[in-house]
Amino acid sequence: MKMNMKKYAGLTFAAVLTMGALAGCGGNNNGNNAADSAATAAPTAASNASASSEPSQEPVTLKWALWDWEATAYYKPLIEAYQKAHPNVTVEFVDLGSTDYMTMLSTQLSGGADLDVLTIKDIPGYSNLVKQNHLEPLKGYMGDNSIDPALYGGTVEQIEVDGEVYALPFRSDFWVVYYNKDLFDKAGVEYPSNDMTIAQYDELARKLTSGSGAEKVYGAHYHTWRSAVQLFGILDGKNTVVDGNYDFLKPTYEQILKEQEDGIVMDYATLKTSSTHYSGVFYNNSVAMMNMGSWFIATQIEKVKSGESQAANWGIVKYPHPEGVEAGTTLGTITSLAVNQKSEHKEAALEFMKFVTGEEGAGVIASTGTIPAIKNDAVISSIASIEGFPADENSKAALTTVKTYLEMPMHEKSADIELILNEAHDNIMTKNATIDEGIKDMNTRVGQLLGN
Amino acid sequence: MQNETVLRPKQAPKRLLSKGVRDHLVAYSFIAPNFIGFAIFTLVPMFFAFVLAFVKWDGSNPMEFIGFDNFTRLIKDTTFHKALWNTIVYTVGVVPFTMAVALALAILLNQKIIARNFMRTVFFFPYVASLVAVAAVWNFIFSPTMGPVNNILHLITGVPIEDLPRWAADKQWAMFTVILFTVWKNMGYYMVIYLAGLQGINPELYEAAELDGANAWRRFRNVTVPQLAPTTFFVLMILVINSFKVYDIFINLFAGADNQLNDSTRVMVYQIYNTAFRSLDYGYASAMAIVLFLLVLGITIVQFRGEKKYGQ
Amino acid sequence: MTGTNQGFKIATKVLIYALLAVAVFCMLVPYIWMLSSSLKLNKDVFSFPMQWIPANPRWENFQDIWTRIPLGRFIYNTAKLSVIVTLLQLLTSSFAAYAFSKLHFKGKNVLFLGYIATIAIPWQAYMVPQFILMRQLGLNNTHMAIILLQAFSAFGVFLMRQFYQGVPDELCEAARIDGLSEYGIWAKIMLPLSKPALSTLTIFTFVSTWNDFLGPMIYLTRTELKTIQIGLRMFISQYSAEYGLIMAASVVSIIPVVIVFLALQKYFVQGVASSGIKG
Repeated sequence: MKMNMKKYAGLTFAAVLTMGALAGCGGNNNGNNAADSAATAAPTAASNASASSEPSQEPVTLKWALWDWEATAYYKPLIEAYQKAHPNVTVEFVDLGSTDYMTMLSTQLSGGADLDVLTIKDIPGYSNLVKQNHLEPLKGYMGDNSIDPALYGGTVEQIEVDGEVYALPFRSDFWVVYYNKDLFDKAGVEYPSNDMTIAQYDELARKLTSGSGAEKVYGAHYHTWRSAVQLFGILDGKNTVVDGNYDFLKPTYEQILKEQEDGIVMDYATLKTSSTHYSGVFYNNSVAMMNMGSWFIATQIEKVKSGESQAANWGIVKYPHPEGVEAGTTLGTITSLAVNQKSEHKEAALEFMKFVTGEEGAGVIASTGTIPAIKNDAVISSIASIEGFPADENSKAALTTVKTYLEMPMHEKSADIELILNEAHDNIMTKNATIDEGIKDMNTRVGQLLGN
Repeated sequence: MQNETVLRPKQAPKRLLSKGVRDHLVAYSFIAPNFIGFAIFTLVPMFFAFVLAFVKWDGSNPMEFIGFDNFTRLIKDTTFHKALWNTIVYTVGVVPFTMAVALALAILLNQKIIARNFMRTVFFFPYVASLVAVAAVWNFIFSPTMGPVNNILHLITGVPIEDLPRWAADKQWAMFTVILFTVWKNMGYYMVIYLAGLQGINPELYEAAELDGANAWRRFRNVTVPQLAPTTFFVLMILVINSFKVYDIFINLFAGADNQLNDSTRVMVYQIYNTAFRSLDYGYASAMAIVLFLLVLGITIVQFRGEKKYGQ
Repeated sequence: MTGTNQGFKIATKVLIYALLAVAVFCMLVPYIWMLSSSLKLNKDVFSFPMQWIPANPRWENFQDIWTRIPLGRFIYNTAKLSVIVTLLQLLTSSFAAYAFSKLHFKGKNVLFLGYIATIAIPWQAYMVPQFILMRQLGLNNTHMAIILLQAFSAFGVFLMRQFYQGVPDELCEAARIDGLSEYGIWAKIMLPLSKPALSTLTIFTFVSTWNDFLGPMIYLTRTELKTIQIGLRMFISQYSAEYGLIMAASVVSIIPVVIVFLALQKYFVQGVASSGIKG
């Protein structure tokens, strides 16, 4: 009898514990939400009251979620510049690492972490955070503070969700072609121009390919990212990668697989399995041209200085474009800032976001060689005048763009679509599937996803 | 024995608690320190994850109870089936291979041989090394056109490099490559378990067998194998479980910059991770985890019965 | 007769040593590569044809890893966590395993099966609920979170229980008759007997805590709390990865684990057999 009692007591204890903990989770969550909304209500009221007068001088500590603190040049100057102007504010960083950053961020927020300012790394992750209601809507704030979305060159419109905006870009990278002048001189070929069609790019790459073994020079280089290959197909503006039909990608894949077969570019499978990084092959004078994002400018300048990059004589030109499309049409990727909806210092967080994404922040970012989202003449001159930036006029002119398509457009299901596209891309490029099979796979799977 | 039975009735009345209850309390007190910590920090969250399998939840917004919908969805989900199949193939490949190699190594390195300590360390090394680093090395060595493995194969067989397997990049060879890698990386781990198990065997058993004229193979069959039964059971279970739970190895070996696996390398935990964190479908991910759990539970029960039969 | 037998034995020995030498070489190649890469510039790490001995070894890599990231702090944190977790794990696991192996109580088998089966649930599946729980307990961004997560594993109980199964029940019976309490049997008989198992568990727990990545990644977001595996990945940034430095840091990070392994090695060959228990 006693034993049974004990057994049942044990069971009941376990059950109570579990239920308690569960209720605790749920209950506390609700509690948190209630507390948070109360907390958020308070500052909003306060901010309304004090909006016309001076901003509050209370000491505030903001927590800023970001990645690659060590490797990114502009975080420190941004924080320093802001703290100088706002002595009551301390900005602390929380480095969540670059691999799986958005997953980490979402987990932290779901767990109720006290982050205030959030860096948004990619569109699928942004879309998820919006769905999870973690981000503060910004339209109202932008209206109150007369922030003009037009400053951002059309990118803000591209990340609207149901007429609302939840993040503002502060960094906007776009794709260009880097080329190695020495290799062009050696081959006796004229440097590429700022107005080059995709077919001309292919032709040029073929001319520049030479040698074999360790001495081999490849005419072009495509990194293993999907965006480096697949997205040539969207530059004509007729299709997007979230429509559900991918037949338009066929010519692009045909051209690039042909280049791979002819030995004009390195083999995708080899690159991927050997973790070959695009910067290494460019530094080693193994590739004559390489399509890559503008983030590589600062790195290349720095590595030429340190001697690691032997491609010291280099330049950039505008991205190759399809026939009949204006030169300067390119792909882009934006990095944005958002504010945690449950932040206890929402007012201060918004203020900080306004600074980083605004003109002042753009100046600071440009001074580190990175392209800010607000790209006016001053910013372009500032980057082109950095010591080590190629001196030719074409390279400076390549910094202007006419139309930028986001690598991944905003879509409710962009996270899932991206998974499917990356997979099919990998299958086509490794020749585990033919182009037709790969495209069919994309069509059916994305179709199913959109149908749901 | 007789003494005890005689003594017991005399002692019993003196005790406050009956012997049965006291024995139970003692037993529970042994388990409690581990179990309480385990229950709070692992069991409770696990239970919560189980509940999630019956709801639709994106990790933040209110949950919605949907009964068995997540499970019925699994039946039609071909991507999940593929992941399940790949995981099973991987497990079937890894488990016997690793066990055989680990046991052979343990027996060999339990003998008095030259540089024994050095060799044990060398074989244990891959398990210790950071996965990021060794996966990079491995991929480099098995790189299709320029890696040393294919170049050596080319020299030996004369087959043109283009026609040789492309290992990790090849649909047909990817699974083989990862199985080989896993065995290489983990055999030292299981070797250590076997080594510890071998120390528990009474040498007199071997001496007796030798006196009976048993040769090396007979001694292995009749002494080593039965004496190692609990160890083997443990190794088998942990191997099966770890193979079913494999994730890191696949990601580091196959996934490129986008952290993605394709149809021929997708495994269950990857699918769970993606469903939860990229598609924000925590409920559906939990349902997958339950399937994994039930599979392993089934195998465990079969093994457990086997162990009892074999051990007694 | 004995002659040919002798000859046969020598031949097998030679064969075995030859095989072992080949195997050892295969095991070591990746490390030689790692070591050689740790002395290279990033761009040369994956360049073909490979250079086993770098022409200009970059010893700076081994200096840079300490200044580029707070590696010393990370190693201290990781060592602290690994030692505490290992001690707790050893104590609680061997304790619980004794009950599962040598005592009889209601629900033993069910409880044990439950323990094992939970090992099968991937951490990714209950990571978020666990994170929420830890936050409710205010343990986020403390080393305590990692300790509590790692210290009470079912794995340790399972491992110890299997070794205790190999210890004859008669030993315990005899001790009981001699008047030892169960705690006494655990302390005076089982613990000394299970040195091989304890050292195995020590190594496994130490290594897995040392190499754990995802746990610290989620729970420790403040730099001064982070561990070495997070540090290693700090050299992999969004647009580039510094493999030269990764390899150098990997080489450094292996050393403590190898020391632990070597220190415990002798116990692998010191089990029941050498403890003087011969019936």
